[in-house]
Amino acid sequence: MTFTHLNVASAFSGHFGVTRPELLAEATAVRAERALAITDRNGLYGAVKHIGACLKLGLKPIVGVSLNVLSETDEKLARCVILAHGGDGGIGWAALCRLVSAANTTKRKEAGIRLSALAKHIDRDGLTVATVLLGPDSNLGKAILTENRSDAAGILVQWIKALPGKGALAIELATHLTEPGSPYSLTQTRRMLALADNLGIPAILTNAVRYLEPDDALTADVLDSARFLEPLGKFEPQPNAQAWLKPAKQMRELALEITEDRSRAKKLLDTTELLAQKCELNPEKDCGWGKPKTPEKALLGIDGNPFEVLWQKAHAAIDWRYPHIKEKQLIDVKHRLSKELITINQLGFATYFLTVADVAQMIRDMSIRIAARGSGAGSLTNYLLGISGVDPMEHNLLFERFLSTERSSLPDIDIDVESARRHDIYRAIFKRYGAQRVTLLSMQSTYRGRGAMRDSGLALGLEDDEIDEIAKNMWRFSARSFRAATETKPELSKLSAALESDRKMNLLVDITERLDRLPRHISMHPCGVILGDGNLLNLTPVETSGMGLPMSQYDKDDMDPMGMLKLDVLGVRMQSAMAYAVREIQKTKNIQVELDDIPKDDEKTFELIRTTNTLGIFQIESPGQRELTGKHQPTEFNDLTIQISLFRPGPMKGNMIAPYLDGRHGFAKAEYLHPDLKPILQETFGVVIFHEHVLRIFDKMTGCGLAKADEFRRSLENPRVAQSVERFFKTQANIRGYDNETIAKVWTILASFSSFGFCKAHGAAFALPTYQSAWLKTHHPTEFLAGLLTHDPGMYPRRLLLSEARRLGVKVLPIDVNQSTNEFLVQPAPKITTDPNEPIYGVRMALTDVKAITEPEVQRIVEEQPFQDIADFYVRAKPSRRTLQNLALVGALDELARVSGHHRGDIMQRVKELNLLKARPKDDPNQFSFDFELKEYLQNTEDLSREEKLQAELSILQMDVTEHQIEQYRPMLDAMGVINSNELVGLRNKSEALIAGVRIATQTPPMRSGKRVVFVSLDDGHGVADATFFDEAQARASQILFNNRLLLIAGKTRRTGVNGVSLMAENAWDLKDLWNQWLKEQKAS
Amino acid sequence: MIHVDEQVAVAVNGTGEPIGFKWRNANFLVANKPMRWFARREWWAEAVRVQRGIGRDVIEVEMWRLMASDLLSKTCQQYELLHAVGKDDWRLVLVYP
Repeated sequence: MTFTHLNVASAFSGHFGVTRPELLAEATAVRAERALAITDRNGLYGAVKHIGACLKLGLKPIVGVSLNVLSETDEKLARCVILAHGGDGGIGWAALCRLVSAANTTKRKEAGIRLSALAKHIDRDGLTVATVLLGPDSNLGKAILTENRSDAAGILVQWIKALPGKGALAIELATHLTEPGSPYSLTQTRRMLALADNLGIPAILTNAVRYLEPDDALTADVLDSARFLEPLGKFEPQPNAQAWLKPAKQMRELALEITEDRSRAKKLLDTTELLAQKCELNPEKDCGWGKPKTPEKALLGIDGNPFEVLWQKAHAAIDWRYPHIKEKQLIDVKHRLSKELITINQLGFATYFLTVADVAQMIRDMSIRIAARGSGAGSLTNYLLGISGVDPMEHNLLFERFLSTERSSLPDIDIDVESARRHDIYRAIFKRYGAQRVTLLSMQSTYRGRGAMRDSGLALGLEDDEIDEIAKNMWRFSARSFRAATETKPELSKLSAALESDRKMNLLVDITERLDRLPRHISMHPCGVILGDGNLLNLTPVETSGMGLPMSQYDKDDMDPMGMLKLDVLGVRMQSAMAYAVREIQKTKNIQVELDDIPKDDEKTFELIRTTNTLGIFQIESPGQRELTGKHQPTEFNDLTIQISLFRPGPMKGNMIAPYLDGRHGFAKAEYLHPDLKPILQETFGVVIFHEHVLRIFDKMTGCGLAKADEFRRSLENPRVAQSVERFFKTQANIRGYDNETIAKVWTILASFSSFGFCKAHGAAFALPTYQSAWLKTHHPTEFLAGLLTHDPGMYPRRLLLSEARRLGVKVLPIDVNQSTNEFLVQPAPKITTDPNEPIYGVRMALTDVKAITEPEVQRIVEEQPFQDIADFYVRAKPSRRTLQNLALVGALDELARVSGHHRGDIMQRVKELNLLKARPKDDPNQFSFDFELKEYLQNTEDLSREEKLQAELSILQMDVTEHQIEQYRPMLDAMGVINSNELVGLRNKSEALIAGVRIATQTPPMRSGKRVVFVSLDDGHGVADATFFDEAQARASQILFNNRLLLIAGKTRRTGVNGVSLMAENAWDLKDLWNQWLKEQKAS
Repeated sequence: MIHVDEQVAVAVNGTGEPIGFKWRNANFLVANKPMRWFARREWWAEAVRVQRGIGRDVIEVEMWRLMASDLLSKTCQQYELLHAVGKDDWRLVLVYP
């Protein structure tokens, strides 16, 4: 006899459930059960995963929700499980989705629904479409534990009245065998059963499940702590470890223990199964499982056949994309387009493409920059529809990698837009298609190393700095392997020693490992928008997102199974930075730059890239990419595509970089294995890098067609299927006349390639903004840096961009309350030299970076500009005392005092006086003379020293504006013989060298050897120097390796290419420590 | 109610219910159907390790409330026994007056 669990919280229950839905379903299937429910707290977060797992395992899925049910005055009556009925064509499912949405889109702090509203939702014209379970966690459950039983009867009568529909209400018996007389005890269950029987309400049995096994109860304790934000011992914990997914046999024993009567126990179990059957879902018919959903045609402005519309739209765009095309090429374009369109039609995706094109057009109409990313750039259709900006014909990209009849899942078309405009676009999409068809996508973040350790530390009541100290040294490993990591990583040596004797630390490590990969919290997905038809909100529940628009409770993995169309509209800061630069160029130089139309072969741009001064350039500014740029020395657009693709975990692990570079620089002769493969692999000197290469090789040697070839490529990762692919490849290649040796060699390469390669379309799509940003940096550095500073797109702190600006000779104009705004504007710069080439424009620092300045303060300053003097500023801009002082310290008031010949020291004195005033005088000229002598009067005091000014900038702006902060240590650096980063390239290989600077990046990229290598990059104002730490150096410098900001590193130079030199580190020190020692020695001598 | 925490030897029947125990050299016979429940332990204050798979006895104990009579004095009183799950490890924790 089976038993169906009808109250099961999965790990997607906001720090309540412990086990992922797939594992719960697997355990149930192993027990040969028929069905299983998932009833997550407050939402259907795990529902799609549950249904998917059930379908795979042959279980009948049941879905419900656990919700707070409220009175008309919003007091909590109960937490109830509400189960949707199934097999009714989706009305039960729709009601569940709608009521969950209603419970989550109110202003209440926690999700909840009033009983009256709940009753309406589950009643569909007199038909009950869901069942509410009234269980131990309710006003009934509480009342029944008190002496006065008649109260309980009265409460139940009220519930019956509120939910009068047939089958709308059931009593849920759940016992965790707690102390007699407490919640979830047998006492409570027995009394509830007696009352249910008295009033004729069906009773069913659950185990109010929170986890799979009793052992998981401990993890539940930790999750409780994270949910309550209190350490263990400071709140009432769960009573015991009984809330697990008990097998049928144990549930039957529980039934007997509750009823103490065999026939009553049987009836209880029978009623439970009856309800379960009523709730079994038919995923296709009830939930729209797998059926693609797109907006109705009329909304896209289509009448008639969508495929014909798509055909016409794409063909009509050929003139736009290929204005000067030759006849022969035109035939190629048309041939390829027909092939693509036929595939799209066969898959029934015409409406989908039209929808994406419609959105792309809408974005362009809003004058927002847009670019494609991912395999979608391989589609000519996308290029013609304006979804992608990369010509797949020119760059040899394949449609089959993106879409083929061999797969039927909806393709991902991802588009990048200006990050600063992303929310505008979302709102426009809601407006265009209607709120009933659109919702944002959500994202479940999961516990990783640091987060898991932090919440574990909180649970154990550790001090914040103790937790911080450990977190600082947790570097790139999953929480699951925390204990193993303490044994091997030098930076964790302290913790490792503590484990010998410290009990708490052992608990910390153990529970951190338990939390690994569990869902942590839900948030808005950074780019996903779901577009559906008018029925969308009957299929997905929504809740309010951080930006206010509704978001689905499903995540991206749920989209394909649910047949939902997800559009990725990703905000890319670089696109904003470039758009900003273009506007500033227009403003100051009166030149209209069309970034998407600039020729892609500008020699000056490639010259700049080859210097490796690539800071601020999209995709190639990281230390590793800079090193690769030095070795690679790109000369054309395709080189950028290749370089971006090479520096990825796959190609790095697959050891593709070195052979490619050897071929490129002529150190090794390119090997093509067979003349037939030369046209395919020529661009990469015989090295298989791209997915597209693999597709072409398969196709060339077996004649399987590119679509099938992509299926083969995908199956290479699966060792079981790979065998049959191998047989096919060898047989077919043999038939086509290739010799055995060639076949064997090529197969070895294909097999080892498996997951290592990269999609060229994706690389090419990325190469476009890379090239565009490099072009801007080359030809309009001032405007480009203004864009970078304003939108901060890169991996580095702003202060490094300033350092780069100084290096490039871009003038940096200090903050000035009369000139600065909330953006980094390009403004005329004062002339300081007689050099006719001296730039006449500079970048004005923005007000927004001043520490603790508020948005209203910035707004007031900008609105009230210009100011006459400091008092005028004080009165009209109304800065807080702290902001006034900070502004003065960083020199923002300097210009106000310059007329009278005063300096910053005098200004500070004046600011002190103003800040001493009890009340700010009103901005009313008639009042001045009474309240406050506003005539500016500055005393002559001592000015701030150079060091004081720099320190103020660093602490208030986190930027060194006037000079590079390393300059403070110059005397010591010179005495020690520390060299500048730009001098490294002139040194011989393996020379001893010392470098110093501000840490700007620390990376531990994956290595083929499996050993860890740590890359530390320093900025010293002359560029960036990279140092590599291997095992021994890591051990020597273990205490500062991941921590300190100002470093001195000793090592030997390692030449990696024409313009590539890095330092092989031997040791590293904290620069400030050295400085203090040095000062002491100086004094002593 | 007197709190004690002393090891006792317990005899159980086929379903695991205690039928008698020996405490401070006196023998007690269980006189009613004992009541069982599960209580929890504060593992964060006592456990040395809590790694995945360590088992439920780190977090949970079995409790028995029962009436028992001293075979010599024949006085019948209520007692609470604590049983470490899955082990023959019993402690007398409460004696009701």
